[in-house]
Amino acid sequence: MIQQTREKDVAEQEAVDEDIKDLRERFLNREFEEVTFEIDGSRFAEYAKVCGETAAKFTDPDHPDFQAPPTYVSTLVGGRNTPPGFPHLGGMGMDAGKGVEWKAPVRDGATLTGRSHLHDIYTKTGRSGRMVFLVTRMELYDQDGIHIANADTRTVIRERPRG
Amino acid sequence: MADSNVKTIADVEFGGELPNFVPDTSIEATRRFGKFVGWGTPRFTDHEGARKEGLPGAIVPGVMSQGFLGAMIHRWAPDAEIIAIDTVFRAPVQVDHPHTITGVVTDIDEDEGTVEIDITITNEAGETRVFGTATAKLPT
Repeated sequence: MIQQTREKDVAEQEAVDEDIKDLRERFLNREFEEVTFEIDGSRFAEYAKVCGETAAKFTDPDHPDFQAPPTYVSTLVGGRNTPPGFPHLGGMGMDAGKGVEWKAPVRDGATLTGRSHLHDIYTKTGRSGRMVFLVTRMELYDQDGIHIANADTRTVIRERPRG
Repeated sequence: MADSNVKTIADVEFGGELPNFVPDTSIEATRRFGKFVGWGTPRFTDHEGARKEGLPGAIVPGVMSQGFLGAMIHRWAPDAEIIAIDTVFRAPVQVDHPHTITGVVTDIDEDEGTVEIDITITNEAGETRVFGTATAKLPT
């Protein structure tokens, strides 16, 4: 009986994962949005101060190396987290985390272009059911086309139990 | 024992702790964040408005919590360049509740001049609310 149950569980898990494989094939790594950001140094200086930064290069516009703290790019958000046509997965999405890969400083007055794609889709299964994680990556480029940062948003969707 | 006054990678010890950092999680701070940066909706800036959304009170925006982690690293090592940081929001950081951020060095790559740091925000009950891992480059 236990063996049969385990085989059933494995079969169900594989069947469940098939839908994620399908989503990955259809939606991963396809750019779905481009957004422009005009960077205001007074705004990122306030961000720095309220977060507890004390270094003048983050808080003082007159500092010769004035720049945004690396995490500031997480505040640059587009209009959507998933591509057009991405299915509703049956649960409420929640912000599960942020990631930043920093490559070059963000300066006052810069014009940045953010291009978004779904970077990863994966699941975790716990006692309360399956959770689907979507990682939306915004690649940020400056006005010279230099890739300055990646900003990831991880959204978790806790699926409703299947009836 | 906490390391402080870190200037170069030679000043960093494997397993060394960063000085604890107590971030400003007051309602005034989240309102200021909302005014100048964004996330100015009631769930972040107004306890009563947040309760109407089913929360126990206002919560700190996740992007602000991530900013706290970056600030902690720069306070520890002012010349550190954070080249990657990944933050997991495990539970809300409640506004007007004291929180403490702790950090520990988990890896040192002297050839690359980088260190890895695990950072955790805990509430007054010692519960983890936010967990992060950062890679920072230090002068060699």
